[in-house]
Amino acid sequence: MNGAILFGLLVLLMLTGMPISIALGLTVLTFIFGFTNVPVQSVALKLFTGLENFEIMAIPFFILAGTFLTHGGVAKRMIAFATSLIGHWYGGLGLAAVLACALFAALSGSSPACVVAIGSILMPAMVKAGFPPRFGAGVITTSGALGILIPPSIVMVMYSVSTNTSVGALFIAGVIPGLVLATMLGGTTWWRARKNDYPRQPRASWRARFKAFRECIWGLLLIVVVMGGIYTGLFTPTEAAAMAAMYAFFIAVFVYRDLTLKDVPRVLLQSANMSAMLLYIITNAVLFSFVLANERIPQQLADWLVGMGFGQIGFLLVVNLLLLVAGNVMEPSSIVLIMAPILFPVAVKLGVDPVHFGILIVVNMEVGMCHPPVGLNLYVASGITKMGITELTIAVWPWLLTMLVFLGIVTYWPGLSLWLPHLMMK
Amino acid sequence: MKVLDHLEEWFIASLMGLATVIVFLAVLHRYLSGMPIPGLQDWLLSLHFSWAQEATIYLFVWMAKFGAAYGVRTGIHVGVDVFINRMRDKNRARFVLFGLSAGALFTGTIAVLGAHFVWDNGAHYAIYHALGFDLDGLTTGPTTPDLEWPTWVIYLAIPLGSALMCFRFLQVEWAFWHTGELPRHDHGHVDGLDEVTPAAVAPGTT
Repeated sequence: MNGAILFGLLVLLMLTGMPISIALGLTVLTFIFGFTNVPVQSVALKLFTGLENFEIMAIPFFILAGTFLTHGGVAKRMIAFATSLIGHWYGGLGLAAVLACALFAALSGSSPACVVAIGSILMPAMVKAGFPPRFGAGVITTSGALGILIPPSIVMVMYSVSTNTSVGALFIAGVIPGLVLATMLGGTTWWRARKNDYPRQPRASWRARFKAFRECIWGLLLIVVVMGGIYTGLFTPTEAAAMAAMYAFFIAVFVYRDLTLKDVPRVLLQSANMSAMLLYIITNAVLFSFVLANERIPQQLADWLVGMGFGQIGFLLVVNLLLLVAGNVMEPSSIVLIMAPILFPVAVKLGVDPVHFGILIVVNMEVGMCHPPVGLNLYVASGITKMGITELTIAVWPWLLTMLVFLGIVTYWPGLSLWLPHLMMK
Repeated sequence: MKVLDHLEEWFIASLMGLATVIVFLAVLHRYLSGMPIPGLQDWLLSLHFSWAQEATIYLFVWMAKFGAAYGVRTGIHVGVDVFINRMRDKNRARFVLFGLSAGALFTGTIAVLGAHFVWDNGAHYAIYHALGFDLDGLTTGPTTPDLEWPTWVIYLAIPLGSALMCFRFLQVEWAFWHTGELPRHDHGHVDGLDEVTPAAVAPGTT
């Protein structure tokens, strides 16, 4: 009963369009004030202690690192490298878009920024080379979502914070699914291009490839700093994030020279703005899950579902549908922070591996961003391609279908996500 | 007002930069002090960075509270707006005003609760002590584990940040009421894309 009141109030407040953090906070305040004996004063303290966790601090550092490298210059280098490598295959520029998105999104950590950066450079080039605009729009809208699966990923940090799962294990678990999804999106691109005989780029010489590789390697080393640092135990995840931020600053200002020292305060302010928004949602989500736990709602839900005879297969199907719907109207971090504390205990009770469950949630978030009618990537892509949402929906469907197939594979084949972390973290 | 805006921006940007530098130095210190370099090692071992982790958390909490207030001004706090965006302008405006008032209400409440909490957690004692008032029945608040600062100073972020945020909500609401405009954050903004031409895409492939 209390659970119904809590969720009813939250959904009602969220539908009025107020910021998600505020809706969460007001729900908790109303509930604590009206339905429990928990002293209201404890809310203020929880707002502070909810953040007193060094793991959470990886988020602002990763955002800072991403903001330093979210620059047209970096996008151009990734595109040049991708084109020189696979541009001569069928659908060359389209394949290059998938690869460039995967590389750029891993660095910048923001899907919409990736769609804009890669899209506004490659879209005109593709149209000029003779590709239909819809083809390019479809590739870029969906490939832009690759970023949250390929580490470092902020959504994964969010999941790890709200469920106490190891960040390192999640990052490593994301590698193979990320590569598989990129390959599948590339496969769809290649197949569509071959069928319609879309133009190919001239084959690049090895010398040109090496030159393009040398240009973009500095950015890509960021992934090595983070993954290598965490895996070898040199850094904790948060320290790795801080090192990544320092490294990104050094590369952007002194190696690539896309930014000057004068731009640094602006970058700091931008990342502070974004991080503060996410941290504010975290604090309020911590309050919310504190109340949930206090009312024993996750346990009740788990008992009820198990009592209903829900198996793993049925549960995961329901989770997928729920997250796809939510992924359409909310941004990934909020969904993870609200949903994970409720669904996680159920998943554990049904014997789902925590790391596998995390990857499943992240893949759902990716699909949700490209899913009509209101995925965020669709909106951003509609801005740069000058297409309406309806036309984009048609443009996107071959790749969206690929993603849904991939989601099915990830959901019911845990080995895909768990093989690498088990191998590396024995 | 302009001064407050600039102070706010300058403040959160510095906290962000400072935290990054501190963690970087702490990690550097950990590895460098393990290297047997004569002179340098002794000096490094005499420095302590055990407080770095705690300091980073506090810097970021302050950054988060004041950054959240800045975020109201830049429109970065988004909600589920797909439904109200399909309404007629007049109805949509009502919901927007309601949402902003709810924001002001929540942050205002937290500011008051936070102020009470800080007051009871040592601020009362410290201020009376400094002013030389009667300290009967008052206790000093707890201190933080590594830095050993009084916690009420650290917790001051909640009432101050929330009060500023409440003020920003009211400010945005006032502006919306009069001009009908809301600040909007562009999630797809990328620098350095202006001068791009298709010819510049793939050097070496032509």
